[in-house]
Amino acid sequence: MHPCSRRAFMAGLLAAAGAATSPSAVRSAAAANGPRRRAPLRLGVTPVILEDRVGFLNRWGAWLGEHLRTDVELVQRTRYREIVDLLLRGRLDLAWICGYPYVQHRDRLSLIAVPRWRGQPLYRSEIIVPVDSAAAGLSDLRDGLFAWSDPDSNSGWLYPRFKLRSSGQDPDRFFRRTIFTWGHARSVQAVAEGLTDGAAVDSYVRETLLLHEPRLAAAVRVVERSPLFGFPPIVGGPSLAADRLQRVREVLLGQDADAEGRALLADLNLDGFAEASSALYGDIAAMAERIDGRQPA
Amino acid sequence: MSRLTSSYRFRLPLALSLTAIVTAVFMAAALGLQSLHNLREDQGRNALRLAHAMSHLLVGALRQDDVWLAYSLLRGPDGADGTLIWIVADADDRVFASNRPRDFRLGQPLREALPLIAEMPPAADPTGTVIEVREADVRRVLHLPLFSENTGVGNLYALLSDEPFLHRFHEVVLGGVAVTAAVLALLLPVGWLSGRRMVTPLVDLAQCMARVGRVDPRDMECRIRTGDDEIGQLGRCFKGMLGALAEKAQLERRVVQTERLAAVGRVAAGVAHEINNPLGGMVMAIDTYRGGGPLDARNRQLLDLLDRGLRQIQSTVSALLVEARADRRTLTRDDFEDVRTLVEPRVNRRGAPLDWHVTLDAATSLPATPVRQLLLNLVLNALSAAGEGGRAVVHVTASDSGLCMLVENTGTPLPPERLDYLFEPFPSSRGDGEGLGLWVCYQIVSQLHGRIDVEAVGAATRVRVDLPLHPEIER
Repeated sequence: MHPCSRRAFMAGLLAAAGAATSPSAVRSAAAANGPRRRAPLRLGVTPVILEDRVGFLNRWGAWLGEHLRTDVELVQRTRYREIVDLLLRGRLDLAWICGYPYVQHRDRLSLIAVPRWRGQPLYRSEIIVPVDSAAAGLSDLRDGLFAWSDPDSNSGWLYPRFKLRSSGQDPDRFFRRTIFTWGHARSVQAVAEGLTDGAAVDSYVRETLLLHEPRLAAAVRVVERSPLFGFPPIVGGPSLAADRLQRVREVLLGQDADAEGRALLADLNLDGFAEASSALYGDIAAMAERIDGRQPA
Repeated sequence: MSRLTSSYRFRLPLALSLTAIVTAVFMAAALGLQSLHNLREDQGRNALRLAHAMSHLLVGALRQDDVWLAYSLLRGPDGADGTLIWIVADADDRVFASNRPRDFRLGQPLREALPLIAEMPPAADPTGTVIEVREADVRRVLHLPLFSENTGVGNLYALLSDEPFLHRFHEVVLGGVAVTAAVLALLLPVGWLSGRRMVTPLVDLAQCMARVGRVDPRDMECRIRTGDDEIGQLGRCFKGMLGALAEKAQLERRVVQTERLAAVGRVAAGVAHEINNPLGGMVMAIDTYRGGGPLDARNRQLLDLLDRGLRQIQSTVSALLVEARADRRTLTRDDFEDVRTLVEPRVNRRGAPLDWHVTLDAATSLPATPVRQLLLNLVLNALSAAGEGGRAVVHVTASDSGLCMLVENTGTPLPPERLDYLFEPFPSSRGDGEGLGLWVCYQIVSQLHGRIDVEAVGAATRVRVDLPLHPEIER
């Protein structure tokens, strides 16, 4: 059995179960030495990075906890909206979310750091089709089956809709049928396995998937690339005190200077974390304004 | 070929082998079909169990239009490699999810994607059914209606084929064939050999029987098994029959010989009688002529010649006319010693050793003279047949009923064809002597109501004489 397939299957079950049952939290082990510290730092994780990597998340949480001198509790949800809700309601202190929900709520969220991938805090949205497909672009997918990743995703929802709207199409009628896969990796899987004719995915996730699941990622072909957008950032919620935010930022910015931190970054296929300003997400904000103008800026 | 197939030597082992092969083939086929049936049943049962397990989540997915959830459920851990094809159709009978997304497109009308659905009975058991269908690669269809509060929200189908376990079935069959072949490889030679073993005595018997009538039963050497089974009984019976045949042949030969010798004896006696009368006259005439006056030398010589010739004829004829003359004196042990003394010079001259064993305690009722002559003739014959370096043995034993004399000599054995004519006068092959010795012996024995036999024992020749002590009682 292919490890990927089992994970995807379990992910499906987890996603279904998660809707009804209590949140599944990945709690990092408390550091073995040192006195008991303050209330744990709650960090939300979405499928903007690879999912289902419990072992990695445990290690990263432990590393963060050690450097922050506090317990770090990692909370994972399949849907962006759940993480954003938890963050806005103060149930999470900080979260790794997409740029799109960030610009939607930027008045209540504060940027902590943004990952650097291939030297830059940037990524793209990509339109993928099966390798054997004849489609040469998004326009060839008219009346086809299409997979969105998440209605709060920039690369897997906002950008392709913006693109269609820009070319005078109604994104809700352009495709015959669309589905949500609730994750970029699953969108790749949906296209690779022929469930849909195309999908819009995060270029970082797709390329990282090439390292972990080369067969799956090799079954799809990129037919369109968006301009570069700001990479999904790590943001602090209203409950995160400024000193704590600053402390977290320092630790994250220094992660690539630490050997263990570098190994963790390498595992994520990232170079490190950088400081960012909200200007990085100006393009996304402009698209969001265009697509759902009623949303507060 | 027909000879081969008609012989039990081939038919029995062939029948044993065929039985083994046919049994093995039928066993393998029965086991294979049974395991195929079991595999199909297991497949249907397992699929139904899985369908029930998934149905709750599938209802939720249908209600919430969560295609991905339904897909990842149906896709299962095996992905598109799974051997079962699962299809969920929504309330409008359109494909909602399948683990073969390329064949069953999202939103496609089910009847278009799967025409055989149209032929299926619509009212299905709410707990799920497995229906046999006859498609090229789909053998059974599982149908489980999906309900939410007694309202149908869709249907779950699974297409079952034999393909997933066909190679297992082939393995079972191949394994059966291999085991059968191995067992047969062991059994067939054993069956073949045991068949041959069973049949070989029959074949030997048949070959032996085929020779009866063509070969003298006394000379027949047959390999015949005499076990306790039926073939053994047959062999014993056949052996008994051969013995009886040999005895009968022996008897017939003896009768023929006796009759022939009796005829020869009558002829000889008649001729001798006819010769003796004129011979006596001629001898008397010569005597008279001699006594008549002086003869010149030439005539005397002539008369002597005639006289010698006539006397030779006379002695030959009288030898033919063996008469066991009435002899008052009965045979005693001394008579045997006399015979020994008489042949002693011959023994010394010939150099052939003579073993002499006489066991005779009292006098017998047999006449002495003919028995003496008989034994003398036999011993002289034996010594002359033994030749240089040979030896002769004499055994005489007496019992209440008779006297048995065995005279045996080594040396050149007699050829079998000569044994039949040995007692006739003037045997043609005889090189020396007058040829009347054994004839005389035979006549004496006949007159004493005895029996004389000659047989070759290895390189030796043995003459056996049995003389009854009370011939009157014997007869």
